[in-house]
Amino acid sequence: MTPVQPAATAAPERARLSHHREQVMGTVVTIDVFGEADEVTRKEVHLRIARARAVLQSADAVFSTWKEHSPINQLRRGEITVAQAPPEVAAVMEGCATARSLSDGWFDPWAMPGGFDPTGYVKGWAAQRALGALSMPGLTGGIVNAAGDVVASGRPGPGRPFRVAIVDPSNRKRFACVVELDGGIATSGTYERGAHLIDPRTGQPASRAASASVTGPDLGLADALATALAVAGPAGLAFIEPIEGYEGFVIGYDGSWQYTADFPFDTARSGRGITSETASVTRTSKSLS
Amino acid sequence: MRRARVVVIATIAGLAGVLSFHTKPATLSFGQPVGGPAVPGGSPTSAPTSTTTGPASSGPPATTSPSTSPAATRTATGAAINYSYGVVSVAATVSGTKLTNVTIASIDDGGNFRSESIDQQSVPVLEQEALQAQSGNIQGVSGASYTSAGFEQSLQSALTQLGFK
Repeated sequence: MTPVQPAATAAPERARLSHHREQVMGTVVTIDVFGEADEVTRKEVHLRIARARAVLQSADAVFSTWKEHSPINQLRRGEITVAQAPPEVAAVMEGCATARSLSDGWFDPWAMPGGFDPTGYVKGWAAQRALGALSMPGLTGGIVNAAGDVVASGRPGPGRPFRVAIVDPSNRKRFACVVELDGGIATSGTYERGAHLIDPRTGQPASRAASASVTGPDLGLADALATALAVAGPAGLAFIEPIEGYEGFVIGYDGSWQYTADFPFDTARSGRGITSETASVTRTSKSLS
Repeated sequence: MRRARVVVIATIAGLAGVLSFHTKPATLSFGQPVGGPAVPGGSPTSAPTSTTTGPASSGPPATTSPSTSPAATRTATGAAINYSYGVVSVAATVSGTKLTNVTIASIDDGGNFRSESIDQQSVPVLEQEALQAQSGNIQGVSGASYTSAGFEQSLQSALTQLGFK
C-alpha cells in the first residue's frame, strides 16, 4: 500500500501534499492534505493519514450492517446492549436522535426496515472524525471525501477556499454548481426516478428530489439532513432553514433549484452544469414556517 | 414568522475538530482495521443508508446479512451493468458466511482515458475525479450514491448467485 503519493503536478494543486484513496465502508474515501512541503515532513503527513485511515476502518468495523458480527448488527439482533457496545455506538445514536429531531422525523434510523440503521449518519460522521485526525501544525488544510460526502477544513492554498462541485443529477458528468466549503457538504437523492429512498413516515420508498445537498459544520449531521431533505423534497428546506450554520439546496426532477437563503454557492458560479434553460432558480422564502 | 435558529449542541465536538486544525488532535483509539481487503457493503452510501439504488437490491443493507452458512470460499461474477460511464461487472468472494472480497471483474468505459487507471472499487472515485478534472480549481465533488448504482447492482447479482442474502 502506498498511502502517500506524490502531489499532482497540476499548478492549482501545487500545495497538495498527498492524495490517498482508502477502500472502506463499501466505497472509496479520498483524503487530501494541503500545506507547504518545507514545513512538514512526508513522514508526519503519512502518520496523520494513517490515523485518519484507522478512524475510517474502525467506524466501518463497528457500524457495518454488512458484517455479521459487527457491534451494530449484534445490537440490532439484541445480542448486546448499547452499554455493551463500543462507546461510538452511543455517540452515533445521540447524533442520529438529534438529526431525527431537527429534521422533524424525516431522518429516522429507528424507522428503517430491519431495525436501527445509522448508515445515513455514519459515513459523514466517520469522515468528520477522519478529518480531525489529520490536523497537525504546518498543514494549511485537509479535505476528506467519503463517496460524495465531503468535509474540509482550512485552505488548499493561500487566499483560496476549498471549492466543491455538486453533481448535476440530470447528467452525472457535469456539475450543477460549485460551493465554497469550510465544513461539510452531503448530497443525497435518487438521480433516477426508479431508485428510491425510504420514507420513515411510511416505511415505503419515496424521494421528492433529484438531488438534495446540505452544508454545515458537522458532516454527520449534514449527511443525515441531506437524506431527510431528499425524502421530504423542497418542503424540507423549512426544517433546514432554522438550523444554525446549516443550509440546504434541492434540485427537482424538473431541474428547478430551491435553496435556503445562505447556501454557500461559489461567487463565481463556475459550475459547468448551469444553464438558464434547465435551471429555474427559486429562492425559498425566508418566512417559511 | 421565522423560527429562531436552533443551535446544534451535538455538533460542537465536530466543530472543535475543525476549528483546532492547527492544534494536536484529540486522542482517538485506533482499532486494528478489520477484515483485510476492504469489503464493500459497510454502509453502502450516504443516501443509501435508508436507500437501495436499483431494482436488483430491493432491501436495506441489513437484509443482506448472511443467514445460511455454506462453508467453502466461493467467487461469483455479477451481471454486467450499464452505468453512467460504461459497463461494469463486479466479482464477489464469499468465505463461509462472510463476504471477503469484492473486485471489478470487468469494465468497459468505451475507450475513455480513465481505463488506464482502473483499480479495484475505484469506479466511484473515478467518476468523481473525472468530474474534478473538468476544473483545475475544485478539490472535491459532492453527489448522491457515489457507490455507483451499476457497481451495487452487479454486486447484488453476484451475491445472489452465491446464495448470499
